[in-house]
Amino acid sequence: MKVNTGKILRINLSTGKVSRESVPESTAAEFIGARGYGVKYLYDEIAPGTDPLGEKNKVIMLAGPLAGTMAQAVSRWIVCTRSPLTGAFARSVCGADFGAWMRFADLEIIIIEGKVDKPSYIHITPDGCKILSAKEIWGKDTRETQAWLNSQHGKDTRTACIGPAGENLVKYAAIVSDRRTAGRCGTGTVMGSKNLKAVAITATRVLHLADPDAYNTLAKEQVKIMGKDGGFLNHKEWGTTSTQDITNAIGIYPVRNFRYGQKVGWQKLVGAEYRKLRVGKMGCYSCPARCGMIHTVTSGMYKGAHSEGPEYESIWAFTGPIDSDNIEASIRADQLCDDYGLDTITTGSTIGFAYELYEKGLINKSDTGGLELIYGKHEPMVALVEKIAMRDGIGDLLAEGTVRAAEKIGKGSDFYTMQVKGLEMPAYEPRGAKSQGYNYATASVGANHCYGYAAQDIFGAPFPHPTDRFDEGNADIVIFNQDDTAANECGVVCAFAARWGWSQLYGKLLAAARGIDLYKDDAYLAQVGDRMFNLERAFNLREGFGRKDDYLPKRIRTEPLHTREAEGEGQMVSHSDEFLDKYYSLRGWTKQGVPTDKKLKELGLDAVIKDIKGK
Amino acid sequence: MTVEINIPPVFQAMVKGVHRIDVNGGTVGECLNEMAAKYPQLKAKLFNKRGKLPHGISIYINGENAFPKPLSKPVRPGDKIYISHIVLGG
Ligand code: SF4
Repeated sequence: MKVNTGKILRINLSTGKVSRESVPESTAAEFIGARGYGVKYLYDEIAPGTDPLGEKNKVIMLAGPLAGTMAQAVSRWIVCTRSPLTGAFARSVCGADFGAWMRFADLEIIIIEGKVDKPSYIHITPDGCKILSAKEIWGKDTRETQAWLNSQHGKDTRTACIGPAGENLVKYAAIVSDRRTAGRCGTGTVMGSKNLKAVAITATRVLHLADPDAYNTLAKEQVKIMGKDGGFLNHKEWGTTSTQDITNAIGIYPVRNFRYGQKVGWQKLVGAEYRKLRVGKMGCYSCPARCGMIHTVTSGMYKGAHSEGPEYESIWAFTGPIDSDNIEASIRADQLCDDYGLDTITTGSTIGFAYELYEKGLINKSDTGGLELIYGKHEPMVALVEKIAMRDGIGDLLAEGTVRAAEKIGKGSDFYTMQVKGLEMPAYEPRGAKSQGYNYATASVGANHCYGYAAQDIFGAPFPHPTDRFDEGNADIVIFNQDDTAANECGVVCAFAARWGWSQLYGKLLAAARGIDLYKDDAYLAQVGDRMFNLERAFNLREGFGRKDDYLPKRIRTEPLHTREAEGEGQMVSHSDEFLDKYYSLRGWTKQGVPTDKKLKELGLDAVIKDIKGK
Repeated sequence: MTVEINIPPVFQAMVKGVHRIDVNGGTVGECLNEMAAKYPQLKAKLFNKRGKLPHGISIYINGENAFPKPLSKPVRPGDKIYISHIVLGG
């Protein structure tokens, strides 16, 4: 059986040079694929201090070894880069078909280097790659862009592109594929900084598997198990459009810039209400869940708004931060974010920050261009989405994210930035789900909910052991969730599907796809997750991050949470130092959060030791 | 000795913050029925129209997943049942 380590397409936009390489077998063994390859190549190829928006930063697009096959929910894809929003390691996950199309073109990694003079896009086929003019689509939204690319290259084409937000270097611009986004960390901004509008792949289905027979047997078993799983069937029915029913009920739905954990009148926002506006579904390659619920507004001021989404995070982003229960406005804002190419979470959170500054009198109508940022009013929120994307008026300031905006505004406004490492927090209140909160604190990318999702706290999942969601002592759970996620993102297993009863097949599928038997051992997969997380940590340490950056926002640590009718009133995160000591010790890190030489050697990361000496 | 049922956060919110209860059933189904008798507001959350677990509800006994046929799994005094209501937000 021939080992299939995956191929790299390297494109230098400055010189126009294009080359194909194979991933070395040792890298495949140690990092498996996708996010594993992403951190390995980013760490090795980006010098410390590289300007995230400079020519030397790289955009790395990654499909996993299972993508494009008959196995289900494994064709999502990943982008890694140095984040222009945070300066830290960036990984963002996207859905739709693009990951499968990368594999059809026999690619697992696309490394984009340099910068092109004029707006351009990359067109890839199985045997070629061209850098072409994007004159016709620069300035166009993501829908128009993709339609134009399809008209040029035919129906067997799939694209990943940016919208005007990426072109305008909004610090949290997304990469959009179909209507799915690699939303977080500003990956689209880095594309924009390179004058790169899109990457288009034209290809037809071909499989590149080391052991196709074994693989297909396993994939059939996976399909069978998944199809019967109750979690899958529930997800197929609702996607994430009913998660707010739970988070409100238990008091962890952040409202008014993380002051409350429950929205008054949240019953108006429940999944069944969104359901009334549902007109269809869409999803990722080879996934029968098709969990992207499409909504259309049929009346009122947002009549005609149409979006694949919002899903849970975006439902929250356009309701919770501004204390609105207007479903139609959330659909419109979600549509705008997808069209302009914006991260919905940071967009919503940044707007919520602006509303609080307005309430506190730190900004006023003359700053906002006449908009009255009053809680419950959704019209200014929708207007701000457009202003941010176009850097119009106050949108120019908010396009920088909350940390930079607060630096400019001053007057103590930094207290109201709800972020970790510069990445705005998502839709789970850390004071009511503390393992989730500490995942935000310690995740390599900053406050990201799916970097180590604490299903134990939120849903009562009792593995590897049950938790009390108000307990701050579960460092082992946070590490388990983070490393498990990292290993799954080598796959790339969709975070939802990872819990649909087939996890015992994952390593075997990887082994059959690559021809590397090591992957069959779950303990080995966990070690790969640990290795990835440590290398991401080293990347951040090189950039000056450390223990000081592993704390939740001051509000979360000093102000009691108000949960209205839910449990958790008065909760705070009060034991950060004890938590970090325990977390670092379990990870094999020093008190300063630096992996010890012993730990790095154990993980085969000896070469990293010298890079982080003295941190 | 009784069987302990650990209630997930979203159901705790429906039973005034109760986190766990003790019951006497010999199977998971009997235990859940006893719980539903005590808290009728949970009945529709624990059983669908066909008397099965609704989609999204998983049962663990002492940390082990009770799938398949979770309701007929036997339990003994001292066992701990965990109900997990995984919807997963993205
Ligand atoms: S569950 Fe949803 S997000 Fe995950 S692979 Fe399927 S369609 Fe994509």
